[in-house]
Amino acid sequence: MNKSSIVIVTLFALIGGFGLSWYINNNKPIELESGLWFGDQARALPDFELIDHNRKPVTPSQLKGQWSLLFFGFTHCPDICPIGLQTLADMVKAIDDDDVSDVLQIYFVSVDPERDSPEILAEYVTYFNPAFHGATAPLERLTPLTRSLGIAHMIRNKTDASPDYDVDHSAAIVLINPQAEYAGLFGAPQNAQAMARDLTRIIERNPL
Amino acid sequence: MPRILFILALLCPASAFAELEISEAQIKNLPASVPVRAGYMTIHNPSQVAVIIDAIRSDAFSSVEIHRSVMQDGMMRMDPVDKLQIAPGANLQLAPGGLHLMMMLPVEPTRPGDEIEIILQLDDGSEQAVKMKVIK
Repeated sequence: MNKSSIVIVTLFALIGGFGLSWYINNNKPIELESGLWFGDQARALPDFELIDHNRKPVTPSQLKGQWSLLFFGFTHCPDICPIGLQTLADMVKAIDDDDVSDVLQIYFVSVDPERDSPEILAEYVTYFNPAFHGATAPLERLTPLTRSLGIAHMIRNKTDASPDYDVDHSAAIVLINPQAEYAGLFGAPQNAQAMARDLTRIIERNPL
Repeated sequence: MPRILFILALLCPASAFAELEISEAQIKNLPASVPVRAGYMTIHNPSQVAVIIDAIRSDAFSSVEIHRSVMQDGMMRMDPVDKLQIAPGANLQLAPGGLHLMMMLPVEPTRPGDEIEIILQLDDGSEQAVKMKVIK
């Protein structure tokens, strides 16, 4: 084998090696620090229509073309919901890649539509981050969505005599991909830094 | 004789002498349209006897209850807690996601930086005032 043949073979081997390593790297499952990534198992959402805090509809087609995180709760919840929203606000700050944060929307979905009007939701969610979205819908329209996501919620201790009641709810955060499919889940209690790293990994590996 | 009485008084394990040491007493602020706030703190009991907090009140809220966030059947729920017992020498933490004060209907809008006084009512009939700081 002459010198130039050796150079060519070496070059091909190098290119092949890099190509193979790139292929393996981009096709291995994404391992998350703090959540579950469904990968190919992502599944379509049922049809739904929520109303956001500006009284605009939120539907699966509106979630297309962006990544969305959905956190379910209610504004009369003093402990768990502010923790979740503060964690999401800290997470957004911790994402240092603008290409990731620019395509990520955060929705707080109230499972207490009777008390949480769009106006109350507007004041509530923007307290944590001006870009956050509040959304809700009457329970008969909301429940098919939450059921399909495995997000449980239940009104408790409600009587005609008392305006105060509790709403038990899952504190998990749901990830919706740009095809409006259920793509991942972050169980409570969430860690802002770990979630920021996980979402960066997911979104960088799956550009729009 | 007076000296002996004094020593006896020092040794006497009466909870009336107990003064709880409170640190990191904070209220997480929320927008004015939301009628509830959560309060957190660390309570240390430096005395030789258990101290029981029976109730908590504040002129700044229409009511203050002790609650615990618990996970049950995949859902977070809040359960009321009757009283807080702090063992001799022990710390009790009221912290996000667990025990906390549920402070309802602020009399005035709360703002980060505000100091709000609450009164711990102990089971021996004594009371202890605590200043809590409102945080963003």
